[in-house]
Amino acid sequence: MKISVVGLGKMGLLHAAIVNSLPDVSVTSVCEKDLFLSVAAKAVLPKSVTVYRDVKQMVSEEQPDAVFVTTPTDTHVSIIDDLLKTRMNLSVFVEKPLAASHEQARIVCEATKGLPGVHMVGFQKRFSPVFQKAHELLNNVLEEPIFFRAYCLSSDVLREGSAWRSKRGSGGVLLDSAPHLLDVVIWFFGEPESVIAVKKHVYSHQVEDYVHAILSFQSGLQGHIDACWSVTNYRLPEFLLEIHGKNGMLTVTDDFVHFAPGKQTDGNAEGRVYHRQSFPTSTPFLLTDPEYSLEDVAFIDAVRTQTTPEVDFVQAAKVNALIDRILENTEQGRRISP
Amino acid sequence: MKSVVEIIETAASSGATGYTFSTHPLNLKILSALQDSGKIEQGFGLYPVLPYAQGYVRLANEKGMKGLVDETLSRLSLSDKAKAVFKGGLSALRLDPIGILKAYVDMELAGYLSEKPVNATLRSVLLHEVVTDLCLGLRDVHLLDVFAQHVREKYHVSPGFVTYNLANFVALFRKEGLSMKDVVIMTPFNSVGFQMSPSRHSCESCLSALPESNVIAMSIMAGGYLKFNEAMDYISSLPNLSGVAVGVSSKEHAHNTFMKLRTITEVSGQSAQISEPVKQPSEDELFE
Repeated sequence: MKISVVGLGKMGLLHAAIVNSLPDVSVTSVCEKDLFLSVAAKAVLPKSVTVYRDVKQMVSEEQPDAVFVTTPTDTHVSIIDDLLKTRMNLSVFVEKPLAASHEQARIVCEATKGLPGVHMVGFQKRFSPVFQKAHELLNNVLEEPIFFRAYCLSSDVLREGSAWRSKRGSGGVLLDSAPHLLDVVIWFFGEPESVIAVKKHVYSHQVEDYVHAILSFQSGLQGHIDACWSVTNYRLPEFLLEIHGKNGMLTVTDDFVHFAPGKQTDGNAEGRVYHRQSFPTSTPFLLTDPEYSLEDVAFIDAVRTQTTPEVDFVQAAKVNALIDRILENTEQGRRISP
Repeated sequence: MKSVVEIIETAASSGATGYTFSTHPLNLKILSALQDSGKIEQGFGLYPVLPYAQGYVRLANEKGMKGLVDETLSRLSLSDKAKAVFKGGLSALRLDPIGILKAYVDMELAGYLSEKPVNATLRSVLLHEVVTDLCLGLRDVHLLDVFAQHVREKYHVSPGFVTYNLANFVALFRKEGLSMKDVVIMTPFNSVGFQMSPSRHSCESCLSALPESNVIAMSIMAGGYLKFNEAMDYISSLPNLSGVAVGVSSKEHAHNTFMKLRTITEVSGQSAQISEPVKQPSEDELFE
């Protein structure tokens, strides 16, 4: 299977290395618009990989089976459009989130509706055995969730940045850091019925650095999330979801899921912790966390069998819809003063 | 800082034969403090791992990949180590990636070598697993070879590679006819197969089939999941390991760990190294 990669940032390199190591899969071309980076890529990458600066030219000449799009978020839709206009049956993997707005996500969903090919978005927590176990425990063990709280925190932005992540329309903590959290919320509980939110600018002028949102669901469940990329002392980003039900509490992080049963008020049983190390995870090639490899394997399998992937464009667009609703509410939310 | 230095000194006096560390600025201060304290004995090995990947990921997040490359190159162009590479100025058309790679290695190491405790010896320079495994996945064997040759020629020590894909690594080196004779490989070995790709079994088979091995086991407690004794039961059962890298978090922890390791490794002929003493999460969440 021939693969092309568009965008040579860290995610482009990551996916290129993983898929290129899978059996009968080769990355034969990459596309990088920036002159300096494209020349550097030509000099550094193996000769078997052709470097282009134009997406349409790459697809016409290379005829890949699938393309990974790992460019800044606000460029996804136009690149997908160019790709599919050049080759309609191309399979496309887009790094999360699908688009910079729900409107853009909706356009790309319409454009790909009914087309052959697999269209997937990289929400890799769905491939984490820890999150899969948490999902199973939520459905089978935790009774009647009352509320949840969740956060994603990092020290990524401790001064104003100049990359696309810091620019209006393509970045902000919600579009950049929170999509995984929001995808897990939608995966676990469905789309919320209503949203109340506030945001804060700490270092960035164009985009938000902090968001707090209260989400209410049709089932009666409520929950709140905090997303901030400007907190100190987080060498690595941290994610936590805590769900309180009538028979106990479920906590999930990237490293473990813990169910603490507690039917009585006079103390909790210890419950059981499932660490990520306890799950048998076999990956053909490992680069950073196994879920990236498992995600790429799932995409390649879906392309081979032409089946719908775990997170297709329609599913991924729900995250964009929720981001827009939260941001809209931070602008319009009515505040009641004393 | 003082407590970190004391942990390393305690580890060394309890049997640790070397120190494995990333090129994080904090480690520069640690080496400097070790030098000032003067308690490190002759022959204690240093095993720097470069680059400090998380720092570069943060820079890429802040400034984009182009910004990261620009900033790294401009830092390099100011460095004495890289004058020859940038003689013609900094432009894409004159790009000399091999020269840049070598100059980069020199620049990253320079501070650490100048702060090296007098009695300590540079044993190997290792490439971080993110870079090793990126090259491995892309089958970019040339870059790995350039790094290895440069470390041999310039520093007269064994080139080292940290990898989560031992079998893949060995297979690629063999296929491309690259010498593995003096190559140090640091790779996870633990009873639950954590970070051992594609499987524990294949890593074990690969290790036992290596004719001359410079393999150092890391992640032996699977990122804190296993207890030290159960980790050592497994490690002791493996043939062909040349060393073990273990992280410790206090003087007492260092003493107990390396005294136990001394007993085990003396029997098996392995050496035991201390890896960065303050226990940190692994740098495997580098990508969003």
